[in-house]
Amino acid sequence: MSTSAESTGVFRRHLPGDLAMWFFILAELSVFAILILAFAVTQALKPQMFSESRLLLNTSTGLAMTLSLLTAGLFAALAQEQVRRSRPRHGAVFLLMALLAASVYVVLKLTEYRHLLASGLGMEHNTFFTLYWILTGFHFLHVLLGMVILGWLAERCRRGLYDASKRSGFESGVLYWHMVDLIWVMLFPLVYVLS
Amino acid sequence: MSVSRVLLVCWAALATLSVCTVALAHFGATSLLSMAILLVAVGKAWLITDGFMEMRHAPRLWRRLMLSWALVLAAVVGLTLEVVR
Repeated sequence: MSTSAESTGVFRRHLPGDLAMWFFILAELSVFAILILAFAVTQALKPQMFSESRLLLNTSTGLAMTLSLLTAGLFAALAQEQVRRSRPRHGAVFLLMALLAASVYVVLKLTEYRHLLASGLGMEHNTFFTLYWILTGFHFLHVLLGMVILGWLAERCRRGLYDASKRSGFESGVLYWHMVDLIWVMLFPLVYVLS
Repeated sequence: MSVSRVLLVCWAALATLSVCTVALAHFGATSLLSMAILLVAVGKAWLITDGFMEMRHAPRLWRRLMLSWALVLAAVVGLTLEVVR
């Protein structure tokens, strides 16, 4: 995956966003790693219960949620590219498209939660659902915060407050969204797929 | 390749791998398939890290840290599920 800068060998290694954001991301990834491992260990101890409970989840819905989050990530990254070209208003349009894609995830997740609750599969149903609600609920809260951040960045882009030389805060906000995506791609197979 | 094109290729690969994850699960629940599903997840995580988060341009230590998160997590999850199986 080489860009023109790489092929000419003139680019300098650079960490996008603020350094503080990267430490925050590492902390978040550590917390989610512990939760994901707790889920895996419990699955290993109660494989029958986890297999049966997993059948009550809709894998297609999980796949649709994955695709909507990844599409939002694509639009957020494209918005960042526009800001780097000093076209913040184009960036705002891409961020609104990212928000639209993220809204699909929110609708699907809320529909899934409502369906599970209506079926009596709440947090206290069994260990699988206790961990399911904790893991996906915690991630869902991160998605909501990510959407607030994307909306705030879009508003600032619309006002022309970011450009090629003033973009560190923008990159940090977009990185937060990519972190939410990154966690989901590890969480999705474990919760919805892996028997 | 332009940055926008790199991003689109990443997204297409991520979408394809996501469909592969679900397709693999339909073949059964063997150890080999579980490992394949975890490997696909690691591949997706690396695409996000290097593609969307642009860690391919980042200092090596940070890049290695970010890439190893998914790899170590998948390895420990795979071992946990395998050891008890």
